[in-house]
Amino acid sequence: MSDRSIFHSVNSVIAWLSLAFLVFPVLLTVVVSFNASFFIEFPPKAFSLHWYGNIGKIHRIVDATLISAGIAIASGICACILAVGASLALSRSPLPGRAAITAFLLSPVTMPMVAIGIALVQFFISIGTAFTWYSLMIGHIVLVVAYPIRTLLASLALTNPALEEAAESLGGGRWTVFRTITLPQMKPGLVSGFLFASLISFDNYPISVFLVRGGITTMPIEIFNYITQNLDPTPAAFSTLYIVVISLVIALAEWRYRIISHTIP
Amino acid sequence: MSGIATPMTRFDATDWRRVSRGLLLLAPLLAFLLVFYIMPFANMIGESFSYWSGDAKTGQGPTLFQYVKTLESARVLRALNRTFGIALNTVLITLLLSYPVAMLLLGVGRRLRTAILLVTFVSLASSLIIRNYGWVVVLADGGAVNSLLMALGLIDAPIRLMYSELAITLGLVHYAMPFMILPIYGTLLRLPPSLREASLSLGGSEWRTFLHVVLPLSLPGVFGGTMLTFAVSMSAFVTPLMLGSPRTAMISQVAAEQLLVQLNFAWGSAIIVVLTVITFAIVAIYAFLLRKVFRADV
Repeated sequence: MSDRSIFHSVNSVIAWLSLAFLVFPVLLTVVVSFNASFFIEFPPKAFSLHWYGNIGKIHRIVDATLISAGIAIASGICACILAVGASLALSRSPLPGRAAITAFLLSPVTMPMVAIGIALVQFFISIGTAFTWYSLMIGHIVLVVAYPIRTLLASLALTNPALEEAAESLGGGRWTVFRTITLPQMKPGLVSGFLFASLISFDNYPISVFLVRGGITTMPIEIFNYITQNLDPTPAAFSTLYIVVISLVIALAEWRYRIISHTIP
Repeated sequence: MSGIATPMTRFDATDWRRVSRGLLLLAPLLAFLLVFYIMPFANMIGESFSYWSGDAKTGQGPTLFQYVKTLESARVLRALNRTFGIALNTVLITLLLSYPVAMLLLGVGRRLRTAILLVTFVSLASSLIIRNYGWVVVLADGGAVNSLLMALGLIDAPIRLMYSELAITLGLVHYAMPFMILPIYGTLLRLPPSLREASLSLGGSEWRTFLHVVLPLSLPGVFGGTMLTFAVSMSAFVTPLMLGSPRTAMISQVAAEQLLVQLNFAWGSAIIVVLTVITFAIVAIYAFLLRKVFRADV
């Protein structure tokens, strides 16, 4: 075997094993969700849909999922609105210290999530607005705002500012130029930025666990509590539904907006 | 002085208008982050320099009491040490598993590439709790690994795989893989294929070409992926809660426990400040080394 083919075979073997590693726990979860046994058991001995019916038994699951979805959409929209202005400023105007500002705006991603949660809960308690829907939503904007900034900067880097200058010199007002020239070019970045912001918010546990008390709860918190208090495969049934829905959303977004090529950094 | 004066004079009225327009567009986000990001962090740092009502010593105003306590606590130091070890292992394993996937993505056809990328994206977008639960299914006493080993006759009774550092590391590697694959694939994609071809046609073997041409040029992507993996592993919270035990507590858990259970905000804040400073310091040193030693553009 030539040196070239050995190199590529070794690489392919490791790569396919890695991908199997990535998919393996997810596939097993799907299998276990159809298992009749009361405990996690592999391989399944009998087939049953019982655990799907049992999803409703998870404490406040419908309520918590609706709150999570509302927070995800609201924080995603707010993050995108804030990010559109900021990314336009960073890519179109000759601001001094642009690299430092960009690094600062992207920094919440590398900050420990527990640190954001701890800092925010103390802050909200001190101003007397802790444990409300709005304080949770604001915490999630801090968490997710870096994602639309990143995808919008990537989209704007591919556009040509000369198009806007041409439109302006042809008599288009600033707002008209933004609406008809700039915004359509930002659309891919906006779609993938919103999608990622919402998904990250929807899934968050470490920030929400500090910002939530009493009446407000979120889907990840209730699922987490159920997993730690019960051994039955109901979470596997919920996980399977979740993964099916997420796969459909991602596949649809890729088919319609080509989000993958816009997110590759 | 003329070197400074020249660009200043070329900074005319149009530029000032564009700068002020930029500041106006940037203002809402900066104001938002000032109130809900900078101020809470400043408050938290202030809190970490104060006494807690239950502390042996009490008093007013800035004190290093909580930091001294942090560095004297055997439990905190053990957790820090364990966290660093787990994070380092996670980064290395994730890199070794993800780099070949990025290389594979370059070589395969369009349909297969889209399929692999979709799997990576779905993985990235699936809930962390759900992915950790998948590892519970794999590693539990009646789970897949134990059933397989028992069916093969290698063991008689299930072995305890859950609640260990190994389980936490597996969960973290699984979580971090998409963060590693995507930036490395991104930089490999931008390398002109002619560089590789030139090295090969000049007699370099595949291995030498990889080590001396492809790998050094992909360091920015490797840096992006490893840095993010390191940061999320250092601050891991949900994964050790689900796959570990109190014996394998990571540092975020210790800090969160002070806040949520003991309501000791001062000490909890100090622990989290220490974690943040250590994480950023290590990332900064790492970036510096890559820049100086490997002359990578990171």
